[in-house]
Amino acid sequence: MLEIKNLRAEVNRKPILKGINLTIKEGEIHAVMGKNGSGKSTLSNIVTGKEGYDIINGDIKFENESILDWSPEKRSLNGIFMSFQYPVVMPGVNNTYFLKAALNAKRKYNGEEELDAASFLKIIKEKLKELKMDPSYLQRAVNDGFSGGEKKRNEILQMLTLEPKLALLDETDSGLDIDALKIISDGVNKSRSSKRSFLVITHYQRLLKYIEPDVVHVLIDGSIVKSGNKDLALQLEEKGYGWLEK
Amino acid sequence: MRDSNYEAEFEKILAREYFSSIFDPIRKNAFKQFLDNGISKKYWENLRFTNFSALKKNIFRVSEISDSHPENFKYSDTIIKEKYKIVFYNGHYQRNLTNLPDSIKILTNLEYYSEAAKKVMQPSYSPFDLLNTAFMDSGMFLIIDKNIEVNNPILLTFINSGEDQLMISPRIHIDLGESSSIQLLEHHFGSDTGNFSNATTFFTLKENSFLKHIRLQMDARQAINMGNIHLDQDQNSKYHLSHFGLGSDLGSISLCSNLNGKGAECHLSSLSLTSRHQHLDTHTLINHKSSHCTSSQNFKTVLKDSSSGVFNGKVVVNKNAHKTNSTQSNKNILLSKNSKMNSNPQLVIDADDVKCSHGSSTGEIDPDALFYLRSRGINEKTAKSILIHGFISEILDTVDNHDLKNFIKGNFDKWIEN
Repeated sequence: MLEIKNLRAEVNRKPILKGINLTIKEGEIHAVMGKNGSGKSTLSNIVTGKEGYDIINGDIKFENESILDWSPEKRSLNGIFMSFQYPVVMPGVNNTYFLKAALNAKRKYNGEEELDAASFLKIIKEKLKELKMDPSYLQRAVNDGFSGGEKKRNEILQMLTLEPKLALLDETDSGLDIDALKIISDGVNKSRSSKRSFLVITHYQRLLKYIEPDVVHVLIDGSIVKSGNKDLALQLEEKGYGWLEK
Repeated sequence: MRDSNYEAEFEKILAREYFSSIFDPIRKNAFKQFLDNGISKKYWENLRFTNFSALKKNIFRVSEISDSHPENFKYSDTIIKEKYKIVFYNGHYQRNLTNLPDSIKILTNLEYYSEAAKKVMQPSYSPFDLLNTAFMDSGMFLIIDKNIEVNNPILLTFINSGEDQLMISPRIHIDLGESSSIQLLEHHFGSDTGNFSNATTFFTLKENSFLKHIRLQMDARQAINMGNIHLDQDQNSKYHLSHFGLGSDLGSISLCSNLNGKGAECHLSSLSLTSRHQHLDTHTLINHKSSHCTSSQNFKTVLKDSSSGVFNGKVVVNKNAHKTNSTQSNKNILLSKNSKMNSNPQLVIDADDVKCSHGSSTGEIDPDALFYLRSRGINEKTAKSILIHGFISEILDTVDNHDLKNFIKGNFDKWIEN
């Protein structure tokens, strides 16, 4: 599904990623753990296509195709999704309008008929229920006046709506209470399938109790220093990152 | 237009037989003041950043009675249809096209000034005020008695058209009586003639009255449209302005409001969209003269190509204006490298117990928001359009009338798409 090869990236000539190798197969859940500033968010931003990073070396392949030249929208339309660590507030942009535009862009790209307002609402209302979100959400502006938890739920709602092949969850757990964490994890777990892969980026082991990863990677100073199974996350919880630092 | 051009046109105005000579000293005085400083940027500090090239390079002649032939003008389907309307064609009031409810009294300025023998207003907030006093050639007086509520909007249409480049100087007075309320929909449009329209409007709002004013400036591309608005507000009166600036090469709205009575409210919302070499200005002066008054200003501009804009907003809170509540916000989006915005929000406070805020921001479309939308599969062009719509929706939402809102929105959609 996703193959990152020796990826080196800089921001303003400052090296952030120093040779990342990471392969995620279809249906797998990988977790990337690391401290602040280790390069976790840079990694997901680069996979999603955010501008402002200089790729010095290496390649990112999605379904065996290099995507480095792809626009963010092309990446999305082909099935890459990122749940933002800090979802953007967009006053005046209605949630329903935004979601419908996103879903219909995808349907159009896939050669499917665009949905009218009624069929769209039907789909979206079911998803709202799954995430225990109030229908009044649909009348509100994107993330405007949303609490931290509401913003993260909104990210997962978009994920469930767009049904990506690869979902990157960038610190989706930060700022969530236990109830919200459970609801969001349930949402993610329900959308798990043998065809869908996840890359979960987190500081803490907490989220991984609910979303069980197949592989855990530890990112320190722009490099993956250790990979293992879910027990590695438990080890990190106990011992911290110090023992892995040079 | 040079001083000599203005002088030649001024002679024509003075020579008009149908104008009473009792106005002459007032005209001459205003014209002298105008000539003394012209549109000098040193003297008129608010105009420091205004691009006057459209006014300087063109020569206009005053609009004559012979320029008043609306039957030659093709009414396009963009015209808003309302039951009550007042029509001006090239600055000439069209009595036969006008329809008003019986409860509203309408007088031409000539009728008003001679009958009521009131003092002619002589504002001097800008050179265009002076120019209007010197050249005022037609206009009207609307009198709404007390306790009158007109539910249908009153359309005030200014159509500017014709072969020659005309200078048009209408002067409008609207007196709103105690506890009365009207909605005024002011619409400027015309064919592609480079007219110079310089209208001055005086609103007097008596106690408890309410005026909802929507102003659509959709003048032709080559036109110059200066709108000078002066308000006097009594106790508990309310004024709401929704201004939409789309048209003309050079456009400006200058609004001065005196909040004279306790509890008066003045709420201004404005959206300007500029393109090509267009230049659009907004100037405001809100004078809090009494206590417990509220004013709000929400001015937005979206600029593209080599266009430019100015926001000059000033709130003055006088010594006795305790419990003043005032907000002022100016936000602008620059869509191109060559577009330019000058923003100057000002607050002058001489009272202690007040709540005032002001702020201004100008920048390109938020790149994070753009990336967010694109990361959801929405292409860059659509994403930008969604964000601009989001930015302007707050101002559009100040228009309640559904049809009118769609009409305005349609015009903005066209602007965004092009």
